Amino acid sequence: MTVEILEQIPEGLRRVPVLIEPSVGHYPEFRNFLKKVFDLEHNNFKAPCVLQVNQYFYEFIFIGRSGEEFPAALEINALPPGLEPLDAEQTDRDLWEILEWLVAGVGSPWSLEALRETGNIYRVNPLKN
Amino acid sequence: MNRQSFVASTSSVEINGWRMNYFDKGPRDASPVLLLHGNPSWGFIWRDCIPPLLSAGLRVIVPDQIGFGLSEHPHSAAAHSLENHAANLVALIDRLELKNIFFVCQDWGGPTGLGALLARDKCSSAIAVMSTWAWRNPSAKFHNQILPWRTMHAPLIGPYILGRKKAFPGRGMYLSVVDRKKFLTETMQYYEDVLPDTDDRRLTWQWPRSIPINETTDIAGNFFQWLEEGVKGLKLPSLIIWGKEDKVFEPEVFAKKWLEIWPHADGIHFVTGDHFLQEDAGNEIGVILAEFATQHGLTEGRLK
Repeated sequence: MTVEILEQIPEGLRRVPVLIEPSVGHYPEFRNFLKKVFDLEHNNFKAPCVLQVNQYFYEFIFIGRSGEEFPAALEINALPPGLEPLDAEQTDRDLWEILEWLVAGVGSPWSLEALRETGNIYRVNPLKN
Repeated sequence: MNRQSFVASTSSVEINGWRMNYFDKGPRDASPVLLLHGNPSWGFIWRDCIPPLLSAGLRVIVPDQIGFGLSEHPHSAAAHSLENHAANLVALIDRLELKNIFFVCQDWGGPTGLGALLARDKCSSAIAVMSTWAWRNPSAKFHNQILPWRTMHAPLIGPYILGRKKAFPGRGMYLSVVDRKKFLTETMQYYEDVLPDTDDRRLTWQWPRSIPINETTDIAGNFFQWLEEGVKGLKLPSLIIWGKEDKVFEPEVFAKKWLEIWPHADGIHFVTGDHFLQEDAGNEIGVILAEFATQHGLTEGRLK
């Protein structure tokens, strides 16, 4: 797995929304993991968090919603350089790696095996297909 | 009935601020049969059930639930609460001034349709249920499993697998019909075509998150509690139809529970079918519904 958290956003990149999750707390352990790993407990409105997956960059924008625990939602933006087209297949693979990183971090009862097998059943695991 | 002739009999109406598409055929003064689909299908799934109902002299109304089929696909998460979807059906009933309605509910057509029925109980004449539920417990074994159901709808994973990678309707429905070859070659594209883009498929992963499986995190637990209390009090003529091969709502648990709730119900009528039983036994289901409607006087006379 080659997912790495960066401190700063590299320059010269543009934002392309690639995955939107309106309910990060649908299973609370997922939100808890993200809060912990991005240190969101005390600083909700800091600069966006950036992950490097292989040689590509992805920005995590955490969103609050009145009456709900922070973060309520999450938008993931791909950060391709300049005006270069987004490689959709590469993005699929990178997002899948992010999902694997997420599930591994959240831990039991969630498992990489279940994620991969679910991807295989529905034929959407880009690392297999 | 093919897609073209089905769509030719549809029109749309604005309800609760959304555009709802619906099929409407048969005498305007006949008793209406309201056929309600679930996730991720649309009214088209009822196409083979419709001819026997029309032949029996009934009016057949088949809405595409908001978020599916040819209805509007709102991108706002808040649009897709279970209450809102039930309220959309209430609004349709009011808008078309329907009375003496025979509710026919499959999958999410159950919680939404039965919610609407409870809100408009004086407009109701009969109920049929198939592969659906209206209570917190028991929940389906299928929905409690980490692999694949809960994983498939987990945060970020749901929007990826079902939204971005369109596991529903195509592959997901394919795995839940009996005659997969027929579905693949003749029908699957008609379900995929109406949800072409990632944002169109939002409800395919958002709706399942309303299934009550954990009392501390359920977002629709209170709705299901209200629903269960309400349906237990219903004394309307009731019909239970189930797919023998249903892997989502196991017949020995769910069909049986309906019979416990409504001991007076007609059934259980078992047909060849998995969760999307209309795909495998559409005409047979239509005949069962039409005979039931005839037995209970719904085809006699005309509404005033």
